[in-house]
Formats: sequence, structure tokens, C-alpha cells
Amino acid sequence: MIRSCAAVLCVVALAVTALDAQQTIAGRLSGRVSPEIAMLVQELGSAAAHRGLPVDPLIQKAIEGSAKAIPSDRVGTAVRLVVDQLDTAAAALRNAGLATPLDTVEIAAGAFAITAGLRGRDITEIARTGRPTAEVIVGLRVAGTLAAIGVPPSETVTLVSASLRGRRGAGDLLTLPGQVQTEMARGATPAQAAAGLARAAAAQARHGPPPDRGPPPHPPAPPHP
Amino acid sequence: MTEREFHPQVKQLLDGELTLADLPAELRDEGEEALRLLAAVDREPVSVPSVTWRVMARLERKRQRRLAWLLAPALAAAAALLVWLGRPASPVASAPGSMVTVRFVLVAPGAHQVSVAGTFNGWDPAATPLVRSGSGDMWVATLVLPSGQHQYAFVVDRARWIPDPTAPAVDDGFGRRNSVLTL
Repeated sequence: MIRSCAAVLCVVALAVTALDAQQTIAGRLSGRVSPEIAMLVQELGSAAAHRGLPVDPLIQKAIEGSAKAIPSDRVGTAVRLVVDQLDTAAAALRNAGLATPLDTVEIAAGAFAITAGLRGRDITEIARTGRPTAEVIVGLRVAGTLAAIGVPPSETVTLVSASLRGRRGAGDLLTLPGQVQTEMARGATPAQAAAGLARAAAAQARHGPPPDRGPPPHPPAPPHP
Repeated sequence: MTEREFHPQVKQLLDGELTLADLPAELRDEGEEALRLLAAVDREPVSVPSVTWRVMARLERKRQRRLAWLLAPALAAAAALLVWLGRPASPVASAPGSMVTVRFVLVAPGAHQVSVAGTFNGWDPAATPLVRSGSGDMWVATLVLPSGQHQYAFVVDRARWIPDPTAPAVDDGFGRRNSVLTL
């Protein structure tokens, strides 16, 4: 009896959650997009949520299109493209062997990297570094940013993967696009700049951080009395 | 600050409509100078620890500890009750993190109004106006944004959407470019 009640209540909760998601989408799109786009995003968003995908990128793209006065049919096409990119990113992360359900923020980060020009297999390779989810998310965002600067996919993946394996923190990863741009300002191509940084990151992963950045090899000796 | 009138094609370069390579040879020096002026503007992000996020994260942890004592049916019933009572929907998932102060700058000769719209303000062109810096053509706005990845564009005179000429950009899906900010 108790088990049946619990099952019924869980079904009710799931239904309520789905209804809540639809209300969230409707509420955020209200007054911002045309009725047909709102209907399309609700339909695609519900299906995406059912597959474990984030719905925020769909809502953002619909609002962006309307704000830019883009015709509805082209907004619809762009929203569908976002769904495709999210599906591709999720599949790539699953191929990396990540536990399901996947983190929706991680999927969105992968989709952004794909928008910037990376491929599914690039996402998989970055996710296979085995670093914690939060670091992989930053890695994927940085990879997308590097691709947006013009770094080719292979050099992007090599640099980000080497940096992740070298256990560089999120703060360090976020400096990579700026470092590449600095090298470009000195005359290097994006590929050359990224390759140079990747070699340094790989060396750091093999030998540990440089002496001025890492912890001291031994604890400091206590002061003499 | 002295005003400097750039050639129209150099203005297009600053607007991100042309690249340096698109300029005729005689305008490249002027274009490089304009880009140097723009690059000289400090827009380095500054990390600002957020008290709000830390307080919210602590509250969230407290709530999670309490929830651990409840049974699944009670959770389901509570969820149903919350929705049917018309409580506001929970915000979009966003991991608590640091807030970062970012300065947006655009050189927009002849512009009467400039704003920035992006994923951080619901792409609302009226939400975040830039202010004219001095009497020149430089427009600036300083925002505090959550760490993460944002896309944005400048809106000039409520009509022209242009990417930030100093930032990486990606296809926006509508045949234009969005600038990217990764914090």
C-alpha cells in the first residue's frame, strides 16, 4: 500500500516537474517571441528535457532571434540547430564514458564548443582527460573560445587536454585564450601559438609545475629558538 | 581628450565589419592606430568575491541537509504542492561561483546611443546602455557578471547589432557574429 502510494506520488511529481518546465519556458518567452516560436520552443524544449538536455540555450536563441528582428522561420531553424548541437555534445560526452545523467551545464559547454567549430570527437577527447566535471566544463568553454580566436581543432584539443592533464586549475585554463592572443600579437599564427603553449603544458604535466609556482618541496624548517 | 576623425572604412574596421586585411594599403596605418587606441583601454576582468553567492551556497547546503531526512513520497507531495500553489519556478541551474567585473568598450563614431545585449541580460537592447566616455566616440559600461560563458553584441542606435571588435566571436545562427566572453 505504502509502495503504491509512493509510486503514484512519484509519477505525480514527474508530471508536475514536466509541467513546471513547460511553465518556465512559457514564462520566459512570454512577450519576447512570437506565439509560433514560443510553441516551437516549448515542443522542442520538452523533448530536449526528456533526453536530459538543457533547455536554456533554446530559450536564449529564440529570444536572441526575436530581439534581432530575425524572421520567425529563421529563428526556428536556429533553435533546431541548437538542439542538434546539444544532442551532438551529449553523445560526445557519453562516448567519453561519463556517468549518466550528464551534467546539463557540461552539455551546454560542449554545445558552445561545437558552435565555435569543434567536432564531437574533440569534445570526447577533452572529456576523456578524466578531470572533475567542473574543470571539464571550463576546459570545454576555453576550447570553444580558442576555436573562436582561430585555433584549429586539433591544436585546441591538444592544448586544453594537456592543460587539464597537467592539473591546471580553472583560473589558469581561463588565461589560455589571452596567452594565445599575446603570441599572435607577436606574429605567431593561432596554431603556432597554441602548439607552443601545449608543449609547455605537456612538459609541466610530465615534470610538475615550475619551481616558482608549485608548493615548496619540503615544509619550511621551524625557526631556531 | 582630443577627438580624432577616422576614415569611414576605419570606422567599419572598429565596428567589426571589416578586418585590417580588407583596408586599402594607404589606410592600414590609420587602422592599426585605431585598433591600438582601442586595445589600450583596460578591460581586464577583475575577480570580485561575491558575498551573495557565498550566502546562497550556504543556504543551499543547509536545505540539502534537511531534505536528506525526508522521504521520497513527501518530496513528491511537496513538489506538487509547490507548483499547484503557484510558487515561482526555480531559477535556471547556475552553479554558485565568483562574480567578475567586466568593462565593455566600443568606439562608435557618430553613434547617438549604444547598448550591450547578450545572454546575461536576456538579449534586451534596452537593459544595459553604455555611456559616452568624455566627449569622444568611446562608449563604456561596467557590469558584474557571473563566472561562466556569455555571448553578446553591441547595439548601436537601437538598430545595428555589431560584435565586439576586440573579442573572439562565433556564428550566431542568423548570419551574424556574437562576441564571446569566458569568465
